[in-house]
Amino acid sequence: MLAETMSASIRGVEAVPVRVEVDVAFGLPGLTIVGLAGSAIQEARERVRSAVRNSGFEVPARRITVNLAPADLPKEGTAYDLAIGVAMLAASGQLEADLAHTALLGELALDGSLRPVAGTLALVAAARDAGHRAAVVAQGDVVEAAAVPGIAVHGARSLGDAVAHLAGVRPLAAATRTPLPPWSLPEATVDLRDVIGQGVGRRALEIALAGGHNLALVGPPGVGKTLLLSSVPGLLPPLDDDEAIEVSRIYSIAGLVDRQVPLTRVRPVRAPHHTTSTQALVGGGERIRPGEASLAHRGALVLDELLQFRTDSLDALRQPLESGQVTIARVEGALRLPARFMLLAAFNPCPCGWLNARSRACACDPASVQRYDRRLSGPLRDRIDLWVMMEEPRRVVTDAEAEDSAVVASRIGVAWDRQHDRQGAPNGTLGPDALGAERGFGPDAIRSLTRLGRVLRLSPRRAHRAAWVARTIADLQGSPGVSPVHVEEALHYRPPVPA
Amino acid sequence: MSVAEAVGRLGAWTGLPLDQLDPERERPYWIATSQLPGIGPVAIARMLARAGSLRAAWQGGLVEQAAAELPADVRDLAAQHVRFLRQRGVPRAAAELVARGRPHGIRPLTALDEDYPPSLRHLDPRPAVLWAAGDPTAWQTTTVAVVGTRRPSGYGRAAAEEIGDELARAGVTVISGLAVGVDAVAHTAAVAAGGRSVAVLPSPIDRIYPPANRDLAHRLRDAGALLTEVPPGRRIGRPDFARRNRIIAGMAEAVVVVEAPDRSGALLTAAAAIELGRELFAVPGPMDAVTSRGTNRLIADHAATLVTSPAALLHLIGLRRSGFTVSVRTLSEAEGLVLGRLLQRSGSIEELADRTALPTSMLAAALTMLEARGLVAAYAGATFHPTLAARRSGWPKGSARTASALAGSA
Repeated sequence: MLAETMSASIRGVEAVPVRVEVDVAFGLPGLTIVGLAGSAIQEARERVRSAVRNSGFEVPARRITVNLAPADLPKEGTAYDLAIGVAMLAASGQLEADLAHTALLGELALDGSLRPVAGTLALVAAARDAGHRAAVVAQGDVVEAAAVPGIAVHGARSLGDAVAHLAGVRPLAAATRTPLPPWSLPEATVDLRDVIGQGVGRRALEIALAGGHNLALVGPPGVGKTLLLSSVPGLLPPLDDDEAIEVSRIYSIAGLVDRQVPLTRVRPVRAPHHTTSTQALVGGGERIRPGEASLAHRGALVLDELLQFRTDSLDALRQPLESGQVTIARVEGALRLPARFMLLAAFNPCPCGWLNARSRACACDPASVQRYDRRLSGPLRDRIDLWVMMEEPRRVVTDAEAEDSAVVASRIGVAWDRQHDRQGAPNGTLGPDALGAERGFGPDAIRSLTRLGRVLRLSPRRAHRAAWVARTIADLQGSPGVSPVHVEEALHYRPPVPA
Repeated sequence: MSVAEAVGRLGAWTGLPLDQLDPERERPYWIATSQLPGIGPVAIARMLARAGSLRAAWQGGLVEQAAAELPADVRDLAAQHVRFLRQRGVPRAAAELVARGRPHGIRPLTALDEDYPPSLRHLDPRPAVLWAAGDPTAWQTTTVAVVGTRRPSGYGRAAAEEIGDELARAGVTVISGLAVGVDAVAHTAAVAAGGRSVAVLPSPIDRIYPPANRDLAHRLRDAGALLTEVPPGRRIGRPDFARRNRIIAGMAEAVVVVEAPDRSGALLTAAAAIELGRELFAVPGPMDAVTSRGTNRLIADHAATLVTSPAALLHLIGLRRSGFTVSVRTLSEAEGLVLGRLLQRSGSIEELADRTALPTSMLAAALTMLEARGLVAAYAGATFHPTLAARRSGWPKGSARTASALAGSA
């Protein structure tokens, strides 16, 4: 006898609906799973068999074939356990129910209880998009699943619960919709008030965050590069509703979401260590997982000691910086992971860190400085909009008049709103084709940009990036038009020309 | 035995009757002898004192004798070389070496030649043979060496550029070592100012060291000269910087150390300058600047004269600056204020914020404009320096504007 249940599978940071077909036929007793099932699914045989038996049902002593369709899509994970178990019961006549409109998502334990799975948010969203009206998930996943609007979510503690619900014997109540939590300042971030000096660094950071621009802080060790970057979480505006779902979905798939508070309004800030592998940075792996670049989607990727990262990692960052996504090519086709982040980087000017410093001599020979400099490829260098050469602060105590994070964050927030109202996207994500009078670029600004670009020998790409930085500076000031002085300030943050 | 001969036996060049020798007939023998491992200028002077000429030294077997007197580690090698040269014929071997350098425009200069740098004629010992490319008259004028660290700060670069430029404009030939850093900046500034500059290399001229400055070397060949003790085609192991530095000091009438940290190679040139009785100048740095520690010590020890400005340097070596100014195009108020402050003292944008009371955003914009006008440069560091053009501009022409008025108008 044949039965069919509905489930879903993660692919990159998206989920796709999957049909689970089970056929119980005469033949040698056994359980075969087909449909490009990975090793975790092959092991489902053992889990499902034990769970069915320990829930008081019977494993038919027949030849059981499970097919996961579409059969050409590679599948991984343990979320199909429930769907396989239920389909097996239906195929062997132990359950009679309408199974066509309910997605079944959960991992089975040997005693028949239901366990949470990674990516519930994305899986349930895919089920909804496929037209399913309801989903049965593990009790532990209910809050996360219920964050998806437009689908009834039922939490089951065990296979028995799920079967009783589907058969209409003991229906489970639909969970109430999980609300978006209010925004609150992320804890344990550095306040700008506690950063000593570094007026230019502060200013450039404010511009970068206000316009979604990429930033590089260059300076000797201990001048406050890391401290300045540590203040970023407290300066970014909250995520809006759509962004919150989009970001939470990625975190859910990465298994990084708090199952009890699945949604967040806090804009992501990821700061991987420089020993991070390329795969962990941009995503990939045999079972494709989002990397730090995708986890920083709609937020900031902070790379301290940028030049200590592997050079292939740095190269791999070029694509997301340019297109806002990571493409992973596979035999089965290319997969795109969203990765629109602002890059906030810090590094030393030379291997020892003291090139051009006042208080200490640089111990590097010129050739090694050149080699070090070359670690940052031209294309990547070109995509960093703001450069700041930092120096050791002259004072050792903080300035009483230094602005605190709250003041700066509110300016950044206002600038975001202006950009959103004008063009629906941050300045840093726009291309040269969008530079027009309707965005506030008048003839004065264009003339200033052209003339200075020629004198300072800027590449066309550099000039148009500078134009958007100028637009952000104008937005911070509340100016509808970009004026030459905004362009001039923007060009101050151009990359240094090695001496 | 005459006094000259007695002194010559000790290996001194002073008092040798070199002007009685025929440079053309002697040349092959000088070239050949200077190639011998272990035989340096002192041994050559001894041979000259005993045989009267190197040609006679070869004919009389003095060369074999000199080789036999060498320390054990080079004795056999030197003897082998002498045998080889004899077999091949000294004039032919020398001609081959000269032919090798010809495609690169390299000529040999023996201490007997007219083109041999005059200031080296008073050196004892002096290099018997030099190899040169470019203009042999480049050193027939006032020569000043400008040397310093390979890793200058922005301040050091600015100073090297100003001094190189100022000297060149006054008609001085700027001597340096073609190293990266101060050397290269000084050479470049002198050539850019339309003057002449001579690089003394630690390598053969057909194998420029450092390779990074190969282009600069080509420019110097056209606007000055390249000079070295190393014959063309020789593979060099470790470049011999100590000997090169001594030639730099010897070539120059005065030596200026622009910037040198402790243990900088430029301090070796300074030591050679003192030993050879050349006038030594040093550019002072702030007391907390590590890159100036060596130069500051030279000044503190009264070994070097402090250079207060490039013009003062010219005055000290008895020259006058040529009249030259550039006009400053109209600067905005903020630009004028910032330039005025930087002319008083170089500084970072943080310092300028303190010194001008202008907001960072306005300073950033003003600095961009000053950089675009070529009046200010940062040399990839955090500190901004006024350029030559700014110093010649005559700014601020008494236009005193107050920071508060500006800040108020912002």
